[in-house]
Amino acid sequence: MSALSVSATFAAAEFQTPSIEYSKLMPMLIVFGVALVGVLIEAFMGRTGRHQVQLILSIAGLVAAFVSVTMLAGDNQIAAVGAVAVDGPALFLQGTILLLAIPGVLTMAERSLDRGGVFTSAGSSTPGSEHERVLTATGVTQTEVFPLTMFAVGGMLLFPAANDLLTMFVALEVLSLPLYLLCGLARRRRLLSQEASLKYFLLGAFSSAFFLYGIALLYGYSGTVRLSGIAEAVSSNSGSDTLLMTGTALLAVGLLFKVGAAPFHSWTPDVYQGAPTPITGFMAACTKVAAFGALLRVLYVGLGGLAWQWEPVMWGVAILTMVVGSVVALTQTDVKRMLAYSSIAHAGFILTGLVATDTVDPDTGAVLGVSSVLFYLLAYGFITIGAFAVVTLVRDAGGEATHLSQWAGLARRSPLVAAVFTLFLAAFAGIPLTSGFTGKFAVFSAAIAGDAAPLVVIGVVMSAVAAFFYFRVVVLMFFNAPAPDGPAVAVPSPLTTVAITLSVAVTVLLGVWPTQVLDLADRASQFVR
Amino acid sequence: MNPMNYVYLSALLFSIGAAGVLLRRNAIVVFMCVELMLNATNLAFVAFARMQGNLDGQVIAFFVMVVAAAEVVIGLAIIVTIFRTRRSASVDSANLLKY
Amino acid sequence: MNSYVPILVLGALSLGFAVVSIGAGALTGPKRYNRAKLDAYECGIEPTPQPVGGGRFPVKYYLTAMLFIIFDIEIVFLYPWAVHFDALGIFGLVEMVLFIVTLLAAYAYVWRRGGLEWD
Repeated sequence: MSALSVSATFAAAEFQTPSIEYSKLMPMLIVFGVALVGVLIEAFMGRTGRHQVQLILSIAGLVAAFVSVTMLAGDNQIAAVGAVAVDGPALFLQGTILLLAIPGVLTMAERSLDRGGVFTSAGSSTPGSEHERVLTATGVTQTEVFPLTMFAVGGMLLFPAANDLLTMFVALEVLSLPLYLLCGLARRRRLLSQEASLKYFLLGAFSSAFFLYGIALLYGYSGTVRLSGIAEAVSSNSGSDTLLMTGTALLAVGLLFKVGAAPFHSWTPDVYQGAPTPITGFMAACTKVAAFGALLRVLYVGLGGLAWQWEPVMWGVAILTMVVGSVVALTQTDVKRMLAYSSIAHAGFILTGLVATDTVDPDTGAVLGVSSVLFYLLAYGFITIGAFAVVTLVRDAGGEATHLSQWAGLARRSPLVAAVFTLFLAAFAGIPLTSGFTGKFAVFSAAIAGDAAPLVVIGVVMSAVAAFFYFRVVVLMFFNAPAPDGPAVAVPSPLTTVAITLSVAVTVLLGVWPTQVLDLADRASQFVR
Repeated sequence: MNPMNYVYLSALLFSIGAAGVLLRRNAIVVFMCVELMLNATNLAFVAFARMQGNLDGQVIAFFVMVVAAAEVVIGLAIIVTIFRTRRSASVDSANLLKY
Repeated sequence: MNSYVPILVLGALSLGFAVVSIGAGALTGPKRYNRAKLDAYECGIEPTPQPVGGGRFPVKYYLTAMLFIIFDIEIVFLYPWAVHFDALGIFGLVEMVLFIVTLLAAYAYVWRRGGLEWD
């Protein structure tokens, strides 16, 4: 935070000492503080017990941050000299990210499935080397993942709350940089994992350069990076249109890359497949929540006056994303890759709600484009975390068995795990009485209210296509004979069990009895400007 | 001199960087091209700060420098690790993940 | 003219510092010359001419370089603060202390994990 204050000071024409409302930034401060303490633990604590201490500390930090988010609920103001917005959407998304990070961290801490845990004993050891063999034999693990995750969570909390584009850029990097590293730390299949890390890093850095150049052009257009200032410049039409349009386009590229929307989705399957599965789940859920939050804020608060310009583009991106995600998923033979394409398709469904723009529900006064997306993100996040947690359980001698053919007849080996995975797939497909249905219903009805009916038609068709490949997996699990040398379903420690149970509970609850959360999303749908 | 010329220069540098990312095969060079893009952005920020008559752009350039340095460190760490495994930093040899 | 006096004083001070420290080093330090010490200094790389085959240098060099970059670049935040130290007052001081403490945590980690050892 200190660095931000310096910039804000220099931005002011009259030199006056700025002030920072620490209490309003408490969720982020707690998470970053825990991350720092985690770094110190890594530095000064012995190996024994470090894993437990880090786990307890991280979970405690996430819970404390969530409590402080609930205490801020209802706030509607701009803090930290204009850098951070504390409003409904920001707090709702921060709460969502923190809630999702809890099962995420629990699955990361799982150590009974694989000796030593999911993560490599030392990221620096060369795969296949003697050094690696010795380290693996000791059963140690890279506990740095906990502080890294907390730094990523901190960036994610700041990303949807950022009220100026510089803060947003810094948050983007703070959330991305730890994720690049986390992707490369798998214990098994380390070459794949490192390759995922390299690809994610190079493409991520490439896209954030576009994002940054977009910021530069918008700054050139309006003379400020504050979203409200840009909105003012747009409404008074005071600058060069070329700068505005190019800047908006480049900014959108960076954000659409992070949400995994087509045509900027190509990193998603590779990275999701190569990364350690708990990281994939965490990343798929939380990054998407944070990035959609930032996308909403940029488009609604900063560029709302330009809606007639970006709306058609978002239509195109939404259609392309839904089609690419659903159709390409049909041909996948790897569970993690299939889930990756499914996450692309879901990015498309969420974009459908987003193009409803600021259509207001006459009954509740909710901004439909925002409230539907908020709800969908919460529902989707828990389904994703749960689904990837189940993937970690199906194992053979080489680690996780992710090839679809290995999942044949899984129900015979473990009816419970097959049933749970079926629930998640049904929720992905949007079957009634699951959270996925409520979410899809919310975004599609928002899109209809926003005069985007053709988009909804395509969305429904693509949901049907997607349902086909989800149910192919269900059929495979329940009605095919298991391969004789097929994988077994491992019994996890309570950590993963709790994570999966939590995800199942939220998925069912938001499907059967969503009113409370829908109301909350409605009430949280107003951006502070 | 018209500060807009610096913006054009920055756009040119940015495009060279972007083209480099897409065309070059060595991960280190790809990565250097990304850094070129970031530095082109810095030039644009400073030029715009001059045109707009406020200091925001110059301060932002500081932040970008720090972020770029952090990115260098992460990127080098990843690339060096991969190089030690494969004895090659070519992005073409990173081809295990597909389809 | 008066406003230039501090600059002159600063120049004299830095000249004095240079002379004193080099002189003190030459007078008090042990003098054991070897080939490495007489070579030109190039941040730890073998100086030119490089050996045949591209002149590989150890990965350890990358580690040191990375640590150098990350701790070195933070000075850009100290600089604006130093320029407006008086106007920022206690607030600026508190923020900077927080910032330095954050860096210190990272430094402690690097130090404890042996990142600063060459061998």
